[in-house]
Amino acid sequence: MRRLAAIALAVATLSAGPAAGQGALNLYCSGPVEWCQEMATGFQAATGTQVAMTQKSTGEVLAQIRAEAANPRGDVWWTGQADAHLVAAEQGLTEPFRPAALDDLEPWARDLWTASGGRTVGMAGLVVGIGYNTELLAKKKLPPPACWDDLLRPAYRGEIQMSNPHSSGTAYTILTILVQIKGEDAAFRFLQGMHANVNSYPRSGIAPTRAVARGETAISLGFVQGFAAETKAGFPVATAAPCEGTTLAVDAMSIVKGARNRAQARRFYDWALTPEAQALTAKAGQLHLPANRKAPPPPGTPDLSQARLVPQDLARFGRSAERNRLLARWDEEIGRLPR
Amino acid sequence: MPQGKGGAEVRLEGIGKRYGKVAAVKPLDLVIAGGTLVTLLGPSGCGKTTLLRMIAGLEVPSEGRISIGGRDVTRASAGERDVSLVFQSYALFPHMTVAENVAYGLVSSGMGARAARERAMAALASVGLEGLGERLPSELSGGQQQRVAVARALVLEPAVLLFDEPLSNLDARLRRRMRDEIRELQQRLGVTVVYVTHDQSEALAVSDRIVVMRNAEIAQAGTPAELYEFPADVFVAGFMGEANILPARIAAIDGAFATVEIGPTTIRLPHRGLPQGAASLAIRPEAVRIGAAGHGLPGQVRRAAYMGAVMEYTIDTAIGPVFAVSPDVGHPLAAGAEVGLALADRGVVLVRP
Amino acid sequence: MQLWWWVALAGAVLLPWHMQQDGLRAGSLLALFQDDPEAASAAAQAVRHGRFWFWPVLAALAIGAPAALLPGLGRERRGGILVAAGTIGILAVVAQGFAIGIRGWTAPWLEALFGPIEDRQFGIGIGGAVALVGFLFQVTDGLARQGAFKGDRFTAGAVGLLAGSILVFTFWPMATILSQAFGPTAEHGPLLAFAERVADRKVWGLACVTSARSCGVAWNTLVLAVSTATVATALGLAFALIATRTSFPARRAMRLLTVLPIITPPFVIGLGLILIFGRSGVVNQMVEALTGAQLGRWIYGAQGVWLAQVFSFTPTAFLVLIGVVEGISPTMEEASRTLRASPMRTFRTVSLPLMRPGLANAWLVVFVESLADFGNPIVLGGSFGVLSTEIFFAVVGAQADFGRAAMLALVLLGFALAAFFLQRAVLGRRSYVSMSGKGDGGLPATLPRPVAIAAFSIAVPWAILTAIVYAMALAGAFVKVWGRDWTPTLDHFARAFAITTAPDGGLILSGLAWNSLGTTVTLAAIAAPITAALGMLASWVLSRQRFAGRFALEFALMLTFAVPGTVIGVAYILTYNIPPLEITGTGIILVACFVFRNMPVGVRSGMAAMSQLDRSLDEASATLRASTFRTLRRVVMPLLKPAILTALVYSFVRAMTTVSAVIFLVSARHEMATVFIINRVINGDYGISIAYSAALIVLMVAAIGLIQLLVGSRRLGRRAAAPVAIPAGGRV
Repeated sequence: MRRLAAIALAVATLSAGPAAGQGALNLYCSGPVEWCQEMATGFQAATGTQVAMTQKSTGEVLAQIRAEAANPRGDVWWTGQADAHLVAAEQGLTEPFRPAALDDLEPWARDLWTASGGRTVGMAGLVVGIGYNTELLAKKKLPPPACWDDLLRPAYRGEIQMSNPHSSGTAYTILTILVQIKGEDAAFRFLQGMHANVNSYPRSGIAPTRAVARGETAISLGFVQGFAAETKAGFPVATAAPCEGTTLAVDAMSIVKGARNRAQARRFYDWALTPEAQALTAKAGQLHLPANRKAPPPPGTPDLSQARLVPQDLARFGRSAERNRLLARWDEEIGRLPR
Repeated sequence: MPQGKGGAEVRLEGIGKRYGKVAAVKPLDLVIAGGTLVTLLGPSGCGKTTLLRMIAGLEVPSEGRISIGGRDVTRASAGERDVSLVFQSYALFPHMTVAENVAYGLVSSGMGARAARERAMAALASVGLEGLGERLPSELSGGQQQRVAVARALVLEPAVLLFDEPLSNLDARLRRRMRDEIRELQQRLGVTVVYVTHDQSEALAVSDRIVVMRNAEIAQAGTPAELYEFPADVFVAGFMGEANILPARIAAIDGAFATVEIGPTTIRLPHRGLPQGAASLAIRPEAVRIGAAGHGLPGQVRRAAYMGAVMEYTIDTAIGPVFAVSPDVGHPLAAGAEVGLALADRGVVLVRP
Repeated sequence: MQLWWWVALAGAVLLPWHMQQDGLRAGSLLALFQDDPEAASAAAQAVRHGRFWFWPVLAALAIGAPAALLPGLGRERRGGILVAAGTIGILAVVAQGFAIGIRGWTAPWLEALFGPIEDRQFGIGIGGAVALVGFLFQVTDGLARQGAFKGDRFTAGAVGLLAGSILVFTFWPMATILSQAFGPTAEHGPLLAFAERVADRKVWGLACVTSARSCGVAWNTLVLAVSTATVATALGLAFALIATRTSFPARRAMRLLTVLPIITPPFVIGLGLILIFGRSGVVNQMVEALTGAQLGRWIYGAQGVWLAQVFSFTPTAFLVLIGVVEGISPTMEEASRTLRASPMRTFRTVSLPLMRPGLANAWLVVFVESLADFGNPIVLGGSFGVLSTEIFFAVVGAQADFGRAAMLALVLLGFALAAFFLQRAVLGRRSYVSMSGKGDGGLPATLPRPVAIAAFSIAVPWAILTAIVYAMALAGAFVKVWGRDWTPTLDHFARAFAITTAPDGGLILSGLAWNSLGTTVTLAAIAAPITAALGMLASWVLSRQRFAGRFALEFALMLTFAVPGTVIGVAYILTYNIPPLEITGTGIILVACFVFRNMPVGVRSGMAAMSQLDRSLDEASATLRASTFRTLRRVVMPLLKPAILTALVYSFVRAMTTVSAVIFLVSARHEMATVFIINRVINGDYGISIAYSAALIVLMVAAIGLIQLLVGSRRLGRRAAAPVAIPAGGRV
């Protein structure tokens, strides 16, 4: 009898599915765990809604939403780079909604909403930049880079790391901003020139940032805030926003199409853009720029007053066809180059 | 034939077994009378063990019917048949004590643990293994293990008891003793026993009837004496003990008898349905009478061996070498001696080639 | 009378047919009179809610009713009825499940045939599952009654259970994902799209032979796997020889190595190697300080992945080989020595050839492990891509191309299968049996001097290096900033496993890791016994029963072992996210994944053990009136204890350390420890991830000890070396 009861209990625990009902929300989160946790508990505290939060990388959440398209499990996809959210929007995996705070948002956050037909909106941003290991550069007596074109210096041979745009959204953002400021052909010529200095194109977007912090490479391409976080953790990393101009990689959020808890999802969507919710970024130890102009940037944000921020042409680069064309060209002209 | 209390008749009708295209047992009929001990005898690969396993329910026949004690058991599983099997390897469960091994079948049949244990102890005592119940099988000698295997099978009081080469792992002396014990046990309990062996002396010693098998079919079935004295063909004659197979010619047939020419001599024998012309003659070594040269078939002793109870001779004759045994150990013949051979009345038979 | 008919009846009439949103409660089990159709039983839905598609299910029950209710029926006739009713029942359940999904009819032709419906249904729940099981066993029971499987209902049921579960949990998801390889693209139809994917230059390119460009990932993977397997097997052999053939004092400690690879959470070796050989690693800094030479970043790329894999898989090769080396009969070597062969010649011409099957086996296992390895290439690969990482990024990367992932998975599967068949072909018919049932009195030959010297000079430095890699990696748990600030601290453990007191005096598990740890241990503890039980059942069926389709079953059972976890994870989510079997987001999917991924090892060890068990033991039990189940429980299982132990430990530990398969399957309610660790590693939070890994290692060692205690050892008497049952060789 006791064994039967145990089996029944096990079946009951095992078969508990995603949260459902009036006061529940299934949140897919692609940000750092602390941040996801803060948002989940913050929303719970603010509204009394039970939040079931799952944290995975951007690509994993996109893959999951796509796999679950016929029977959505998640309600809101929060964080993750804008281009992935745009893919989801393009493929009809998410549904349009106008957030209450839309008019208070930074232009880059609003542009995303417009470009996606209202299916996704920016909620935080990271500045694309160059990071370098100060100890290594000093030891090799190399000058720190400040501009994109500095990366072509012969002295940096084998010292630069950038992730592979095929697998990394970060690298794809870098590719697009280069195309945007330099023009497509010039951008590819630049990448070909830099290729001689690149020691590897790892598949993970965060890998170059880690590598520069641990002195595995001298220079990396990534996010200014990412490098700043390494500096905060005690690693000898400095960062620069390239002088020719750079862009913000936008973190976005979307409501999953056919969400089981649509009302709660919309409530979360509105809440996440309030200054109170945006302030949780800093509480979670993140350095992302807030999308809501009424929210202050987190303390410790690197000084970006000198940075020339160019808004990303999301209407162009968010399209799958354009993305596939650029990636194919990258493959042809960079990926296949001998090392 | 006395019908024992537990002995059930085993009836095989058209039973056959094939693996793919290979026939392990060709369709055959066989009736084993209740309370008798029947031996399946034959060389390796003749199908005798497959036949036994079909009776036990470990193999499903490809065709035919099996009934035990009048009940059709063709599709019944091993546990549903009133049979027990003693394995060649004994198949004692190595992780159970001897007592647990013997009680296993009783508990399987639904008997309480305590009662089963008492019965098991009694069964062990009946095979002379008192006090060894708590040992593990690996701590017993080969003969003791064999007795445990028999006790384990007997304790279920089956109507049919099956033995699959039970003595092949024992030494010669122990083998002789165990086979007598098995025969004695069978007679005492009146149980039907089917016994597989490839050892003809074992078969002769224990059987009521012997079924000789060859190439997946029955070569001949009969009492030990029938098989020994009237083998149906060359194979059976050679397999049942020693036999000189000599070419002969049936010169004439007269009633039940035939006039048979062997070399220069002629004898009269039952023709056993064989036609006139070339034939084979099976002569038991002890049926060769060795006399002085000039009488009977002339021959010369090529080799003589002293075997203690008898002398063994190989004698060259015009029709080939003849193997003979003689009880006359006191006056051995030397190699090279000239002799004359005669044949006894018994032990000489015409066989199918 | 007929138990399984009643089970099917209960599933269709009594229990709620569909999966219940908020899990199952005792109160909702009686679903006959539920007003909500979603909570009602199939019968209630058909009768009260007009869901006509359940009538065939009920019809199947009606057809089977005579077999259960009429006692006078003949054996074969009853069997025929059961087979018919069960088959119709299974077809009815499956057909209705696939025909009507959460958006009504699932295919246009269905709508055209039956007209539109304003209804939908979710995945099947307890009722549907119970009914399906009932119908399945009706079929197997019926078949047995008609004389199949020697008339044994248990065997028939076991085969049915295995075949059914393999079909549902292996074949179906694999077919789902592999069909994606034929998914049409914008330009091409299915076949051309597949051809285009397969012929991809990035997969098969050979540019690296003639130039400095990189080759296709398929070649990368193949070359890496072959070299890893070869070197790891050689190293494993050196360890095995030292452990068994020398009096080396630390050889007992070396056995510890065998457990290391299975209890090591992913990434640990890669991280340790970076700390030692990385550009800023200990070795580089020492070399630079001593000679001024800069070693650079050589650890990243093919060499680094290879090194990490050799570190990771040498213990596996050792594990396989030690059994083989121990199993070589000393008599053979003694025979060789008495025939005047020198020790070296004996080793070369007798011992080594006798080890050949073991060497081939070890090579194959490492080869497949290397193919499926994901952790090492991702940490150390740099630009160097292999199939497993390429599949992962094809799914989650910027390309998000399931078709490409499926095609790459096919290539990977092809390699694994090719190696499997190659091994069979090479070892083929030659006999390498050197263990007879008879006790073997001889002493193993000592190693010839040159071999001993070679073995020691390779194995000892390697063992030390392995120890250092682990030490370096695990040190990360006890220092402030790993690789930078080596101040000792226990902060990471505190963050992961803190326990605080609530104001009311109760204890709160406030550490970050508690939640995922609890889930992981629970799910692993549920999965392990199921894995072991199914694995033992499968090995028994495969080695003791003859039936049509036996080889297919064996092959399907082994299939999941060769498929990389990422593929399995995606396949599962694609398959089980939609009705009829909607178990995504539940713990069931994780347990199913663990069970069917880890079962092959249990099956293999079970079959190996079974081949040493004389078949006459089973037969003796059968003739002693024992049912098949009793034979399994009382005779076979006690003698298989070592294999059961292996299966239990392996499945428990693997359930705790798997990452690639479960990363897609975890949900908010069911977070796994490894996924937690990986996310921390990706975020660069090494301290807490390594602290967690260390805790997991300790936990797993404790669990292994506990399992060993629970299962116990088999007793075979004081003379354990001499098995009682001498295999019956010349059975006629």
